Amino acid sequence: MLVSYFKLQLIMFCRKLRGFGMNPVIGIMLLIAAFVGLSVYLFSKTEFAAHILALLALILVSKLSERTRNDFLKLSFNNRAYRKLRLIENSSAALPFIAVLCARQSFAAAVILMFLALLMATVSFRSNFHLTVPTPFYRKPFEFTVGFRKTWFLFLLAYFLTFMALSVSNFNLGILALLLIFLTILSFYSAPENEFYVWSFSDTPRGFLLRKVRTALWYATLSAAPIFVSLAVFFFNQIEMLLLFQSAGYIYLVAMVLGKYAAYPREMSLPQGIVLGISLMFPPILIVVIPMFYLQSVRRLSDILV
Amino acid sequence: MIKIENVSKFYGSHQVLKDVNLNFMDGRVYGIVGENGSGKTTLFRCIAGLEKYHGNITTHFDKLKNHLGFLMTEPFFFSKITGREYLQLLANARTIKLSDVDERNIFELPLHQYASTYSTGMKKKLALLAILLQPNDCYILDEPYNGVDIQSNILITQIIHRLRELGKTVVISSHIFSTLRDTCDEIHLLHQGRIIQTAGREHFDQLEARMKASTTGNKIEKLKLG
Repeated sequence: MLVSYFKLQLIMFCRKLRGFGMNPVIGIMLLIAAFVGLSVYLFSKTEFAAHILALLALILVSKLSERTRNDFLKLSFNNRAYRKLRLIENSSAALPFIAVLCARQSFAAAVILMFLALLMATVSFRSNFHLTVPTPFYRKPFEFTVGFRKTWFLFLLAYFLTFMALSVSNFNLGILALLLIFLTILSFYSAPENEFYVWSFSDTPRGFLLRKVRTALWYATLSAAPIFVSLAVFFFNQIEMLLLFQSAGYIYLVAMVLGKYAAYPREMSLPQGIVLGISLMFPPILIVVIPMFYLQSVRRLSDILV
Repeated sequence: MIKIENVSKFYGSHQVLKDVNLNFMDGRVYGIVGENGSGKTTLFRCIAGLEKYHGNITTHFDKLKNHLGFLMTEPFFFSKITGREYLQLLANARTIKLSDVDERNIFELPLHQYASTYSTGMKKKLALLAILLQPNDCYILDEPYNGVDIQSNILITQIIHRLRELGKTVVISSHIFSTLRDTCDEIHLLHQGRIIQTAGREHFDQLEARMKASTTGNKIEKLKLG
């Protein structure tokens, strides 16, 4: 019974990889390589790597304790099978992390992680707390409204970094905070929305895109304002550099919004992603990329909006 | 008015709609019934312009979609958007100012909560409320009674009556015949992508009997229960 369950999980995982256009064997090898590579990188960068890795493992394991999923499993399997299944699932999810921790001789962290992972197999979490995170972006849903609620801690981190930059008179740290805000905002436009949310607009593709870009720029300005204003006041002699980064943030934001709709209703394609990636290293290419994305977006949206 | 002429729809080689011809007039309520997979939702998506099709769908509006409120079978909600923000989003989409939301929240929905945490019926009511707050002339309601409590059921029926009085065009699909009997002026039976029967009020009984006969048959015996 359990064997067929785990077989099914593997089949579903392979289907997901194929969905990304990847051969499952190559995909799994790449994932292992990426995991090992990132772990090694983490250990080379910080002395807290073991703690961070254990925390990441626990976050992953906690996802398996989601209530609806566990209710389904409880209904589908008898008690004994359910317990066994959860123990196998949690230990399997934690195992790669435990292996890395052991390889780095962080045995205490590995043991604690294994213990907590097994302990978490006995609980299920309710996922829908009725706590609504307040947002300043409620007037023009949805990208910033939803995005802010998912990443509010990154906003706090960016403002904290700005405070630190001012405290230690480090302009570069302030710029890092500005970049963090813009990167966070760019992520709000990474996935396409359900077509109903485009269809509902009584607008032309051009008007729709203008609306989206206008909202993005306005809310980005509001989000970055505490950082921009603080840096402008405290590091006025570097205002040109500050303006350069702020403008770059705006330009990439426009490219991202247009890039999203250039592929709509699908996710941004690999070539489009590569083009955006190249533009990060060679910004002048945006002079071609932005109009190209704009024309593609208009074409894509005209199927739904006209 | 919405005029549907010879509309066909293919998914690959599979034909979902076959030469559908229908007229939806102002101030009338139409029902579309049919088994799962008969093509109801596809037909609605074609009318809304969400699917490409063969044939013609014409109307006296410049763009039908700008006058159409479309309640989907399973409305989609973002994970971190409140009920109030959802209403705001759909109002913004039609460039209208949202006012008296609390007063107009006749389904008494907890608008401050994330819509994704709502029950199936509450989600349906929120999506319905959103399109009712828009100034639409036509409404497509794909299973509006699905998962909705009995009180709201009554309210939705009253709303449909009011829309008819206001001269709006309403097209509903439902698997509960009694709800269509209470609301519709005309019901079309869709079977395997083709309209096989149209019944006015006076022939609803006949239509229901036909559906019962074709649906039930001796299927229960085939199940070999017990």
